[in-house]
Formats: sequence, structure tokens, C-alpha cells
Amino acid sequence: MAATVEHLDQICTTLDKLTLDALTLMQEEIDLKINAENAMIGGETHLAKTRYILGHNSVSNLQLPTENSPEFNALTVVHTNDDEYGVKQFDLESHKPDNETYLNPSKWFGYLVPHDLQFAQNLYRQALQWLVQAANVQNRLRENCLQIKQLKELKQELSSN
Amino acid sequence: MALHSAVKGKLISVIGDEDTCVGFLLGGVGEMNKNRHPNFMVVDKNTAISEIEDCFKRFLKRDDIDIILINQNIAEIIRHVVDSHSSPLPAILEIPSKDHPYDSAKDSILRRARGMFNPDDMA
Repeated sequence: MAATVEHLDQICTTLDKLTLDALTLMQEEIDLKINAENAMIGGETHLAKTRYILGHNSVSNLQLPTENSPEFNALTVVHTNDDEYGVKQFDLESHKPDNETYLNPSKWFGYLVPHDLQFAQNLYRQALQWLVQAANVQNRLRENCLQIKQLKELKQELSSN
Repeated sequence: MALHSAVKGKLISVIGDEDTCVGFLLGGVGEMNKNRHPNFMVVDKNTAISEIEDCFKRFLKRDDIDIILINQNIAEIIRHVVDSHSSPLPAILEIPSKDHPYDSAKDSILRRARGMFNPDDMA
């Protein structure tokens, strides 16, 4: 009986810690997404300025590659690793354009593009960095919630005995 | 870094409105593979819900995609499919768009996490 009470105390203490962690992670994810949102808003403004200079349809989905476009590789990819707790964590890797395997996407919109398009490109790259960090936090939060759920079940099982 | 160069990284895919797709493709996430399958989808007011659902499910099945970025307002349209995904890979990230600011109350993972503390939200 005493052992069960001790176990329950341990579970409750761990649950308290995990709950605090979950709240911290939730706040962290929201902050990261708001940072990404601010970068995206900046990017959208520069895209709008580029449209003002080049014309309304010059920066639209009409310029994006279609199924008939030649094959090309992504400049930005992620590498996925497990951290010390076995949670999937992403690491962003960016390649430099070499005009062969890796093309600079700004070329889709013309060869002499306004600086605003490059500013927009930089801001969207920043947004990507924030979002990859948010994805890492999200995976930690998911794992944290799973542990809370398992401990709650164990606690209920011990309490009912 | 040397390890990174040896191993081909995984893709980040985008399902979003015109500005979101143009922006992130400009940022370098876009790819057209050998089978001519893009890793992005531009959603406009004429796009059918079934098309969005099919594209989302296709991205979930692709093993070369590790992160799916989706505008939160589009995720709302296919919420039942988004909520049914529980695996950490690919990670689904709900992002804001030009006309729809980020709302943490609608986010799939955050809603689930909040549900751990408040049973009323689980319903």
C-alpha cells in the first residue's frame, strides 16, 4: 500500500513537470509562428512592390513551374534526426544556386528582377527558419502530450487498485 | 555539415494561396521530381475540396517529404483529414496567410495539447 502511494506521488510530480513543459512548449510554438508570420507579412509587402514595378501578373502562380517544366531540385531541404529522447528534430540545409542542379527561383520571374523580389526571398527564407524551429517544438510537444496521456492512464490504474 | 552533403535531405511541401506558394518557392522549397510531381499546390477560390484532400493525402504518402506547410484557413477546410494524422513524420505545420492571421485556437496540435488540461475542449 505504501509503495503504491509512493508510486502515485512520483507520477504526480512527473505529471506536474510535464504539464509545465507542455505549457512552455505551447507558448514557444506560438511565438515562433508569430515570428514566421511577421517575416511572411514583410515578404508579401515586397512581393506587392515587385508586382507594382513589373506588372500585376508578373509575380503570380503563372510563373511557377508546372508539370511540363524541366526537373529541378529544391534549394532548401531538411535533415531529420532523433534527439536524446528519440523525438524527430529537423535541421534546415540550403544549397547555393549553381545554375545546373540548383536554380535560383527568382529567375522564374525574369533575369533583371527588382531588389524587392530579393528582399521578399530573404524574408521567406527567414520565415522558413522560424517554421522549422516551430516544427521541432511541435514534435517535442506531441511527445510530451503522449507521455502525459500514458502517465494519466497509469495513475488511474494505480488509483483504482 | 559533411554528413548533410552526403545524405539527400527531405523536402518541405506547401499547400497554400498564391502568395504563400510564390513566397516559399522563392525561398527555395520547390522541387519537380523525375515523375514530374511537384511538392506544392496553389489553392484558389475555384479549387475543389476533394483536390486539396487528394493532394494532402498524396504528400502524406510521399517518403521524400518531411514537413508539410499548409495555410490554416485551408487546413480548416480539410480539418478531418489533418486531425486524423498523428505521426510525427511528416510534420504538418499550420501557417498564417495574407487574409487569415495565425489563430492558435484552431491549430490541430495546440488544440490537442490544450485538451489535455481541459476536458471540455476535447469534445
